[in-house]
Amino acid sequence: MSDGLDQLKEAYAAALEQYLSVGGEPPLHRAYEVGRQAVRAGLSVLDMASVHQEALVRVLVRTLTPEQSAEVARRAAAFFLECLSPFEMSQRGFQETISTLRQLNAELERQAAELAAVNKELEAFTCSVSHDLRAPLRHIDGFSRLLLDEYSEALPERARRYLSRVRDGTRRMGQMVDDLLNLTHVGRRDLDLRLTGLNSLVEEVLGDLRPETEGREVRWEIAELPFVECDPALMKQVFANLLGNAVKFTRPRPCAVIQVGTVMADDSAVIFVRDNGVGFSMKHAQKLFGVFQRLHRQEDFEGTGVGLATVERVIHKHGGRVWAEAELNKGATFYFTLGVPQSEGRENDVTVGGAVWKLAR
Amino acid sequence: METSEVEILLVEDSPEDVELTLHALRQEKLANRIQVARDGEEALEFLFCRGPHNARSFEHPPRVVLLDLKLPKVDGMEVLREIKKDPRTQPIPVVILTASREESDMVEGYKLGVNGYVQKPVDFDRLREVVKGLGLYWLVVNEPPPHSAFRPR
Repeated sequence: MSDGLDQLKEAYAAALEQYLSVGGEPPLHRAYEVGRQAVRAGLSVLDMASVHQEALVRVLVRTLTPEQSAEVARRAAAFFLECLSPFEMSQRGFQETISTLRQLNAELERQAAELAAVNKELEAFTCSVSHDLRAPLRHIDGFSRLLLDEYSEALPERARRYLSRVRDGTRRMGQMVDDLLNLTHVGRRDLDLRLTGLNSLVEEVLGDLRPETEGREVRWEIAELPFVECDPALMKQVFANLLGNAVKFTRPRPCAVIQVGTVMADDSAVIFVRDNGVGFSMKHAQKLFGVFQRLHRQEDFEGTGVGLATVERVIHKHGGRVWAEAELNKGATFYFTLGVPQSEGRENDVTVGGAVWKLAR
Repeated sequence: METSEVEILLVEDSPEDVELTLHALRQEKLANRIQVARDGEEALEFLFCRGPHNARSFEHPPRVVLLDLKLPKVDGMEVLREIKKDPRTQPIPVVILTASREESDMVEGYKLGVNGYVQKPVDFDRLREVVKGLGLYWLVVNEPPPHSAFRPR
């Protein structure tokens, strides 16, 4: 037994003796307090019982009358009933811990309720964006269209041009609202994880992009991609944005070359989408994934600047990373990973072409 | 107005949307008898032959109800619930035509038995396409529920 514990045991015995001799609140409190400290410091059940016994005997020996003895016995009973057992004593420690935990829990619950309220507010905002902001847009578009349809001949050329500017603006804002809404949906949605062949997603996207590549020479070089556990609808959006961008930014090229493949980096496999398009300067790379951030003029390359923000959100939701390398006029490459790479293989990892894919949990 | 021959009940609070939708329907010469209700209460009064519509009869339901969701007084979901829970109106085809694409609205609408859910496009040309498609389908292609469908079982 350590010196500290010995001292505590002695202090406990003394405090207990004092209480048994004089009674009263402060001595009672002190006996509890020192006893609890001794239990925390490791006083065993047997040691505690002997402290109790010795203290009681010492005090009883000093009593002169049966009345005094009865009083000591009464105090001992009260004390021992309250905290005779060291289990009781240690339970007091537990109770303190539990009450601290309860407080922490209440605090957490309060924060969770606050978060839920904020989330609800955000949802209400999204809903009102989707409903209330679209309505006036639809009216501007509709009535400007009717004006053009029904009064076109009465309008001077310049008025018609102004009207078509109004309509272009409306269309662009409509697209922005839609894209923003989609971005919000991606953020709110729970991942629906399924083992998915990425090649099949790429094939679907290629089908969707066909109207945009019509009449152009585009060489697709699609490597064998792995099967991964991911949310297929969201991952399709990733490919739709990355491949759509590749198609868009290679438009000035007589022959566009768009590659999709995998490389190894830091021991984990990375998927990339590469094009030989107009690229961008790495000076602006940090802006790339921001909402409404665009590196090209609207009249050169259309877009709302939400696509890559959506890509980043989906990849982050999967626990992955996305980044880009590019050079002005020399094309761009976008890389992404899914899930955190781990050093040891797991049952669920998927092996494709020698590369082990660590799956997002 | 001869309400007994109403083909489309358009429940829509925005006067602009009413005008654009009517314009699209008339342009396609699809429906001449369109009743417009500007809020949910008006829609229910019409469908349940109450108030200003107490001369109407349940015998001549509209071929389709185009229902906006966000409406003053009684909202669209409530209107849908009332229609679908009463045997006198339950078979009337109802199509939600709304700006909202909120999943919760779609889920609730379908659970209440809506016959279609269409999002109003912002682009007027597409809105015209959508309205034309709806008119064609519900007034020309679709067979309306026979009278016996309205009798309580």
